[in-house]
Amino acid sequence: MTDETTTPRPHDDARNVSVGERPGGGWTVKVCAGTACVFAGSMAVYDAFVQEVREAGLADQVDVSIIGCHGLCSMSPVAVLSDDTLYGHLKPRDVAKVVDEHLRNGRPVERFLYKDAQTGERIRDWHDIGFYKAQTRIALRDVGVIDPESLDEYLARGGYEAARTALTTMTQEQVIQEVTDSGIRGRGGAGFPTGVKWKFAHQSQSDVKYLICNADEGDPGAFMDCSILEGDPHAVIEGMLIGSWAIGAHEGYVYVRAEYPLAVKRLTKAVADAEARGFLGGDVFGTGWEFNLHLKLGAGAFVCGEETALIASIEGKRGMPRARPPFPAVSGLWGRPTNINNVETWANVPWIIAHGAAEYNKLGAENSRGTKAFSLAGKLVNGGLAEVPMGSTLREVIFDVGGGIKDGREFKAVQLGGPSGGCVPASLLDTPVDYESLAATGAIVGSGGMVVVDDQTCMVDLARFFLQFTQNESCGKCVPCRLGTKRMLETLDRIVEGEGREGDIELLEELGSYVVEGSLCALGGTAPNPVLTTIKYFRDEYEAHIREKRCPAGKCKALITYYIDPELCTGCMLCAKKCPTVCISGEKKQPHVIDTAECIKCDTCRQVCKFDAVKVRSGDLVAAVAAACEGDEG
Amino acid sequence: MLGMFKAMRQTLRHLPMKKVTVQYPEERITLPARSRGLFRVVIDPSNGEPRCRSCTLCESNCPVQVIRVNHTSKYRLPVPNAARISEARLAAQQGVDLKDLQPVLDEFYEHGTGLIAMLQDAQDVYGYLPRVALQEISLQTGVPLSQIYGVSTFYNQFRLSPVGEHIIDVCHGTACHVAGAVQITEALEEELGVADGKTTSDMKFTLSSVACMGACSQAPVMRIGDQTYGGLTPDSTRRIIRDLMEQVGATKG
Repeated sequence: MTDETTTPRPHDDARNVSVGERPGGGWTVKVCAGTACVFAGSMAVYDAFVQEVREAGLADQVDVSIIGCHGLCSMSPVAVLSDDTLYGHLKPRDVAKVVDEHLRNGRPVERFLYKDAQTGERIRDWHDIGFYKAQTRIALRDVGVIDPESLDEYLARGGYEAARTALTTMTQEQVIQEVTDSGIRGRGGAGFPTGVKWKFAHQSQSDVKYLICNADEGDPGAFMDCSILEGDPHAVIEGMLIGSWAIGAHEGYVYVRAEYPLAVKRLTKAVADAEARGFLGGDVFGTGWEFNLHLKLGAGAFVCGEETALIASIEGKRGMPRARPPFPAVSGLWGRPTNINNVETWANVPWIIAHGAAEYNKLGAENSRGTKAFSLAGKLVNGGLAEVPMGSTLREVIFDVGGGIKDGREFKAVQLGGPSGGCVPASLLDTPVDYESLAATGAIVGSGGMVVVDDQTCMVDLARFFLQFTQNESCGKCVPCRLGTKRMLETLDRIVEGEGREGDIELLEELGSYVVEGSLCALGGTAPNPVLTTIKYFRDEYEAHIREKRCPAGKCKALITYYIDPELCTGCMLCAKKCPTVCISGEKKQPHVIDTAECIKCDTCRQVCKFDAVKVRSGDLVAAVAAACEGDEG
Repeated sequence: MLGMFKAMRQTLRHLPMKKVTVQYPEERITLPARSRGLFRVVIDPSNGEPRCRSCTLCESNCPVQVIRVNHTSKYRLPVPNAARISEARLAAQQGVDLKDLQPVLDEFYEHGTGLIAMLQDAQDVYGYLPRVALQEISLQTGVPLSQIYGVSTFYNQFRLSPVGEHIIDVCHGTACHVAGAVQITEALEEELGVADGKTTSDMKFTLSSVACMGACSQAPVMRIGDQTYGGLTPDSTRRIIRDLMEQVGATKG
């Protein structure tokens, strides 16, 4: 970690900010309206707050508003009060209690506060929660702090000041130099130095240049870009405005996934607001600088995250990548010089201009400066959105920020970088999170998706999942990617079906290396990574599937059977009632039995059982048969 | 002096040799089977028409981008197997009112929206992309139907067949997969009596899988219309869908 005393802690600023604090005292209640919280019903909680506050007669003392993703998604739906109290897991019916106890009488309601998994202690102030303590937020500086639909709140936090400085006091070369000096590298995955990219686009001679924000966040398990667009759309717009000045582009596009309706809605509003105030349009800040921003909705193709495919898609064609060179900086959108950066990169730019390259450069590891936002998901105690300085170890991210593994289970691996990335096992937990160190393990930083899996996850099945995804999303241009991944998937299918053969692992490795070598773009070039890294670190699991026909994690359906432990079964009949195929029999208060011939292995019984009596068995039957055969031969 | 003799020797040596050039175009040589030349479209000898179906595959795959396909094929979009189309679907297909497409086309003429945006708008109008609508767009905009077909089959968002009233999107992102999204889809398949990606015969529900929705901490999640559901189990999924089926009066299968 970086030195506390010298490092700026953007979070500390957040404490002193006046945004949302009511001028005349009283309370503000901010209900998180990030995607996860909306899924968990935060809009109903918001409505309940508005109603309860009104009914309690506190309407003139309490402001209720929404914010973008606050980060701690595992507590959703989340509400934050102006004394920094964080309430989670709220239901609309609980709101009355919070309003009455806390807002009226000033007593925090214990049971909705964050509970530390280790000590069991309730923590009121969200700054004291381990999840937030270990973070340094730059790209996410205003996400979860301001109302994303209010330009005024963004301005109150110093918004558009960096763009004003850049456009009115700095030359184009100075801006590019500043970005280069900060050492920031593309946050979309490839990690190309942003300053260098800008320089290329700046040097290209053309009457028309374009600027693109890549918000086609297709990686399953990644939602940083989504959260930034939903929580702080103006930061991205301001970053692009600075970029447009540096490069000399007057037209910009934001290519955003149509699967993020909330992000699209807020971004549309933000662009309209910025245009109305003159931050976009024909005469920005009265300097005569023109910059127009357009929204382009993706139509659901993972490969469009690749820059040349994205350009083809904006042009209205099939989103297929093309060979580079010519690079987009020379010939991009409509054949003109184009600069493409990721959402997170753009969101960092205003901070770099406002605080100076040196401040940004202080953070991070040797060749990877600054911070990186990650979306933590999977079997973690604290899932959500986190931003840490580059060079923090995986252990810090997973155990300090993420709070360790849920339900006290064992850490098995962390999947980084989605379908292009790889799995890093427990033995490599002290790997620093930077571009080079992670590449050495076979994984990548990627866009920042981090999915943690525990001992209940089958690595072969996980590899198969990712390969199925990339196989589906392959645009079909390059034969190794189109057919190679298909053959690899068939091999993996065979293995999880229990029909794996000797030599399958070697076959996967061989095919994988061909796909990597023979593909034009990064999709094919990285598609085998999840398979190759799981073979590298979890070869024994593959071998168990192939040789013993056993799934060590008890996940692969063809290799498992369900049974009820008669010792633990209390005969409550719940599983029998819930079983969709009615294959569980047994009298009340007597141990139940599963008819394995009828069982469809839907896992319902195991999930509903309150006594952990339903167990999964894998391999021992096959092993017994094998042993018997051996006995015959002997 | 010496150089002149050398040149003479060279000339004399080649005089009795076989000629390597031919008097084109009067004379022509037969080229080896795999030699490179110019492209031309193969003509089907049986009917004298080109075999090219304007699929644009060559256009999009050419490494040096020298091919442009700019003519609409006389071949139509593949007709779905008629035997498998239920009455309800046929009724929906016939009910395409092209008047509804006018605002989409107006938008194109006024603001120059791109092809993808236009198809998205058309899908918003009809719920899917009816063939007649695609033909109309091609006719009105001059974009070859082949290209429109290419684009509409490339992106996951576009559907070429009608969908049910309620679309059930089950998230199959990494976190949801690890948390058991497969079992959720299986439970829905069983309750609805249709496979993933298919529509019930009464046109009430379409079951589909989508990539990450970004609500990973609530995994596994699904979305039915505007309603979102998180933290699902196969059991709770069955309850939700049974209630919903009862509400809209849907039948299984």
